[in-house]
Amino acid sequence: MKIFLLHTIGFTFLIAGELEIGSTMPLKDLELADISGKNITLATAKGDAGTLVVFSCNTCPWVIRWEDRYVSLANTYVQKGIGMIAVNSNAARFGGEDSLEEMLEHAKNNEYNFPYAQDPGSELASAFGATKTPHIYLFDDEDKLVYRGAIDDNAKNAKEVDEPFLANAIDALLAGNTIKPKTTKALGCSIKFK
Amino acid sequence: MRLPLFQSGLSFFLLFSACSNVDLIATDSKTIQEHLSSYRGQKAVLLNVWATTCAPCVEEFPTIVSLGNEIKDLEVVFVSADFDDQLGEVMSFLNEQKVTGVSFLKNENDESFIDGIHPKWSGTLPFTILFGKNSGEIVSYWEGKEQESKFRKHIQLAINE
Repeated sequence: MKIFLLHTIGFTFLIAGELEIGSTMPLKDLELADISGKNITLATAKGDAGTLVVFSCNTCPWVIRWEDRYVSLANTYVQKGIGMIAVNSNAARFGGEDSLEEMLEHAKNNEYNFPYAQDPGSELASAFGATKTPHIYLFDDEDKLVYRGAIDDNAKNAKEVDEPFLANAIDALLAGNTIKPKTTKALGCSIKFK
Repeated sequence: MRLPLFQSGLSFFLLFSACSNVDLIATDSKTIQEHLSSYRGQKAVLLNVWATTCAPCVEEFPTIVSLGNEIKDLEVVFVSADFDDQLGEVMSFLNEQKVTGVSFLKNENDESFIDGIHPKWSGTLPFTILFGKNSGEIVSYWEGKEQESKFRKHIQLAINE
């Protein structure tokens, strides 16, 4: 029985903890290579009212289904003071399908209107506890985490969304209201850590 | 072993069975849990949530099929998290991999599905849970692709709990 318990304890903690709500934005000065050709940091991507960090990549089917929402969120909220950045932490694939060149092509094809940068060594994903793409983290104007999880409840079709979790969270943040829910879940592709 | 599912009275849709050895059932996590619990006291169960578009899932899939065929005290239950417009791809893949019996396709919104499968699962694919042969309780679980040696170790734990 002891052996079983040890094994159980040893093997059931295999899902990394995520950044808790209220936590301060980690590694905000970590230099990330952006598709613009310049380096960027979370500190420079920040907005006056808050910051939206989207862990993403070029090929995940869930990203591809959801990324029309990236663009519409940026259209709506950047002008309201929300800084937005998409981060690619698939460091194991930076030599291939998630190279900076492929990211630039992907961003052009999908009309990205926000920075899209590589996370060297998947350091940012590790610090956030991000495990999949897309994976969303919203910070307030003091860099405290106020929402994390999913964009909405329908990856497949933006027109059939019942719960626009992230837009609701940003609206509440901007209005000074309580964000509810503060965390949500969705399916996604595993981040390919180096 | 399919009888308990069909007697459960819970909602599901049988999508494909003709000309195939797989009964692909679109349903929710509650029905899947009912199905899993029907093996309690008879077999250890390996639940694997996968998708045709998930490269690591596809990579580990043949290993899991092979272990299911080899180990008589183990039942392997696959749950596809593909979108419903990828039904053809799911069915083709299951047939290619020579999966037989009942297999599932997620038919529930993400959040309730994820929490219904396991509250500590983040939603990252693939996801694997092992249920003990005698207790039917969860012995171990993990996110992401794993090697055959790890599957074997945890399957034995589930059988010998």
